[in-house]
Formats: sequence, C-alpha cells, structure tokens
Amino acid sequence: MSSTPRSSLFKAQRVVPAGPAVAEHPTLAQSRRAFLQASAGAAAGVAVVTTGPKLAAAALHGPSNTVPLGAITKPSGPPPPETVMAYVRDAARGEVTVLSGMRETTYRDPELVKRLIDAGR
Amino acid sequence: MSSHREAPEISKDPVADNADTYAFVSPDNPSTVTIITNYVPLQAPPGGPNFFEFGDDVLYSIHIDNNGDALAEITYEFRFETTLRDPDTFLYNTGPIARLDDPNWNKRQFYTVTRVKGNQRRVLGSGLACPPCNIGPRSTPDYQALGAAAVHALGGGVKVFAGQRNDPFFVDLGSIFDLGDLRPFQNLHLIPTAAAPGVDATKTLNIHSIAIQIPIGDLTAGGTVPTDVMSSSSVLGIWGAASRRKMRVADAANDEKSESGPWIQVSRLGNPLFNEVLVPLGKKDRWNASQPVDDKDYAAGVTHPELGKLLPVLYPKVFPNLAALSSPRADLEAILLTGLPAGIVPGFQNNTGKVLADMLRLNVAVPPSTDPNPLGLIGGDAAGFPNGRRVTDDVVTIELRAIAGVTYPLVDKSYTPDPAAALITQGITPSASRYQAAFPYVGDPYDGYDTPSS
Repeated sequence: MSSTPRSSLFKAQRVVPAGPAVAEHPTLAQSRRAFLQASAGAAAGVAVVTTGPKLAAAALHGPSNTVPLGAITKPSGPPPPETVMAYVRDAARGEVTVLSGMRETTYRDPELVKRLIDAGR
Repeated sequence: MSSHREAPEISKDPVADNADTYAFVSPDNPSTVTIITNYVPLQAPPGGPNFFEFGDDVLYSIHIDNNGDALAEITYEFRFETTLRDPDTFLYNTGPIARLDDPNWNKRQFYTVTRVKGNQRRVLGSGLACPPCNIGPRSTPDYQALGAAAVHALGGGVKVFAGQRNDPFFVDLGSIFDLGDLRPFQNLHLIPTAAAPGVDATKTLNIHSIAIQIPIGDLTAGGTVPTDVMSSSSVLGIWGAASRRKMRVADAANDEKSESGPWIQVSRLGNPLFNEVLVPLGKKDRWNASQPVDDKDYAAGVTHPELGKLLPVLYPKVFPNLAALSSPRADLEAILLTGLPAGIVPGFQNNTGKVLADMLRLNVAVPPSTDPNPLGLIGGDAAGFPNGRRVTDDVVTIELRAIAGVTYPLVDKSYTPDPAAALITQGITPSASRYQAAFPYVGDPYDGYDTPSS
C-alpha cells in the first residue's frame, strides 16, 4: 500500500471542470465577491449617482463623451435616504442596473452605457 | 466542517459564514423548539483587540417551511448594531466587565429580532444586548453571569440569545482533511500509520451563536401542536442563512462603506456537511447563493456521493460491498433531501414531500429523549439527527456511516453493509461541560487568557 504513488490516489475520480463558480441566473450569476468587486469598480469608477432614467433619456441627446449641458435637471423628488448606486451590467446589451435602498432596477440605455464606459477610460 | 469555511467565497467572509444549524424540541421545555445557527467559526479565544462579533452589515436569518414546499413560511431575522462608548481608545474594555451595561465595556453589540410571516413583519425585540467575548479573568471575571444575562425573554414564550459560545460541533478536522483519515482506523488507510484516538479540533475554539426558543405552535401550519408522529403536519423544514447587500462601495465621502440594493444570500445551512461534502468545489458558492427549493440541481452529489467512491480507495479491502454499490443512493436522498417517509423506520417519519431540498427536518411530535444517543436515529434515538439536530449529536460519524452504506438497507434490503461501516467513528467524545442543560444549550466560550494554555 505504501508504495502507491501519492499523486495517483484519486486518478479514478472525475475532474471538476474549471470555470466560474456560478453562472446563469443574472441576479446570482457571478460569485458574490467577484460581483461586489465588479460592482464597486463600476460604481466608484463612474461615480453614478442619479435620479434614474430621466438622466439617461436626457443623455441620449448629448455627445457621447461629454456631459450634455442642460441635460441634468432638478430631481423628480426628494433624494432617497440611501445612496443610489449603479453599474454597467452588460455593456454589449447596453444594460445599466440601478440600486436604491432595497430596490434594484435594470434597464437598457446603450447611449448611457457608452458614455459611462468612455468616462471610465 | 460541518460547514466551517466550506466554500471558497464564504471562507473569506467568516462573519457571514453559517457554520452549523441545530433544531430540536427543547429537552427542558418540550412545548418549544430551539433553533441555533452559528457564525464566525474557528475563533481562537485570544483573538483581540478587535474581538469577534456579528456583522452589522449582515442579515442573519432562520427559515421555517411548515407545509413541505421547501419555501419559508416563517422567517426570523436578526440585525446587529455595534456601538462604541469611547472611540478614542483602542481598548475593547477599559476595566472589568461585570454586567452587560458596564461602563468599562467599550465596544458592544445589540440586535433586533423580527418575525416575518408572509407580508407581515413583527419586531419581537430590539436593543437586545449580546454578551462580550470571553477575554480573561481580569476583563470578564464572571463570564457565566454575563452569558446568562444575555438570554432575553421576548414575550409569548420566545427566548433569544446571540453571542460568543464554545463551538458545540466536534470534529477531527486535521485528520479528516488529511485524505479522509480517521485516526482510529488509520492503520487501514492507504497511507497507513498506527491507529490513534481522535483529536477534537474545535474543543477550545469559539463561535458566535444565534439561539432562539419558540413555542411549537408559532412554527407549525395553523398554529397546531402536533402529537401524531406519522402526520405530515408534524414536520418542519429548517435552515439558516446570511445575506449581504448587493452592492458595497468603499467611499470615504460616504462614511467609507456605502451599501445599496436588495439582500443577496451568501451562506446557508440545513443539514450538516451538505455543502461541505456533497457539493463539488466548483458549485459550492452557487449553492450558498441558492435556495433549498432548487436543490434538485445538487441531487447528483447526494445520490452518487464522491466520498462513497473514495472510501473503498482510501481504505483498501475494507469496503468491498460499498465499492460494488453503483445504484443511486436513495437512502441518502431520503435522509437529506426529502426526509424519511413512513414505512422505512418503524414509528417514525420526517418526510416533507417530493421537493428535493436541503433542510433540517424536525418532527416536533417526537418527544425529547431522556437518554440522548449521539448517533441519533441510527443509534435508535428518534429525537436526534437526522430528525432535527441536537448540539450533542455526532453528525460526522452518523453521515460517514450513512455514506459508507449503513443506511442503504433502508431502501434495499438485499444489500449487506460492510462490517466496517457500522464501526466508523471519528473517535471523539466531547465533555458534557461543553454544553448547557438549558437554553441556549451551547456552553460558555473559552477565554483568551487561559486558552491556549502553555
């Protein structure tokens, strides 16, 4: 028994394929830490603090690499009690996720996504 | 083990690491169920000056399924808040801590308990004090009194405790993770050494417990107090969990840690060792983020357990019958994913239906044992694991024996387990002083001055 090569003890066992820890479901798609890191990077990098789609809609009419003058208007309501955060969830699909309090909203705004990515370069 | 550092991500986040969940009919108060969920595992008692504590940014929860759908009908939530009396000192305490409101105690934790049933949320208690960590004879000279004072009655027969304890889970960690070694049998191991007694790796390590004692009628469907063991309404599915906010930003302008978004589950635990042993490494993080109702995705690890194939390799010629067993392990599926249906063990069942879900299943109509057997049901004691789980149950030995084939005859009477399967033991008998006879049942933590001793 002691002569058995140590490295071959489990060679009959199947190999767990390498790959991401989690997948599929968008909410749980990434490992938590990867998600937090990616999210923090996106949110901190682009400093998105917004009242929501109104800003994105306004941005559609401005140049993609500058803040459109006059596009940022008064908030539509009082600021929420918690920090609003956002990140580019899927650049290829132009998806932005906004988190405010316990709420999470994902919407498509390719122009905003382009501007955010440009701003982060 | 049982799920201490069991998955890659949560091993880096001990504050949210649900290491064990226990649920049992309270032996000294049998009209109630006690549920204990443990976090922050493997604490070395001297670990200061920032001693161990719960996370203010973590949502701790205990979930109860009372109708067999593997979804929580009732949830108890626990949120913590840390306060500093004096932020200008580095000290946890500036003198002996004689009571929970002692002015010498600088860094304290308080918590809120909320019961959630459907859309109804009811705060059962807030501003509830945790005990301090057990530091030593100068700082915490009468720790027993501090621990006792931290048991809070919330009204309606509910009691709660949250704070540091001696880890009730006993396991020979160092041996088992050394290629599945069991010291009492290591002379038979593929890489043999002389047989030896087991080593209780968690004996003097501490953990943080959330313990709650709840009247049975508060947990069952319809508020009944079941007395018929064979009735499906007597069985509760129970699991613990921890969640964090979806996004966190390190930002000095926003108090350095701004958070937003919904709670995202990062850890859960029903049956001991489920994620640890039965879920492959590449899926463990996803399992922690998923819900019991979706556990069919992990059923293959139960019906064809990797450890069942390893044992005959690691212990040559010891488990020939197990080596030849290739059929799906319906016994393990019943024990861990559905509960045992009627007709398997005479006079007992803890089945919750067809949904495959990792939940601790407790038949509350089974009265507490007057002479508990740490081997639980396989030791003839239906009040123990896998009927719920008591703090004294030797779940490592129970599950190793089950995986080794001891329970397979429950579903296939033609199968003869290997004689060694029923002899498997990790060779540990914890001291009775590790536990308490009354709520919260988990014993006082070891203090950092005396542990480890020279």
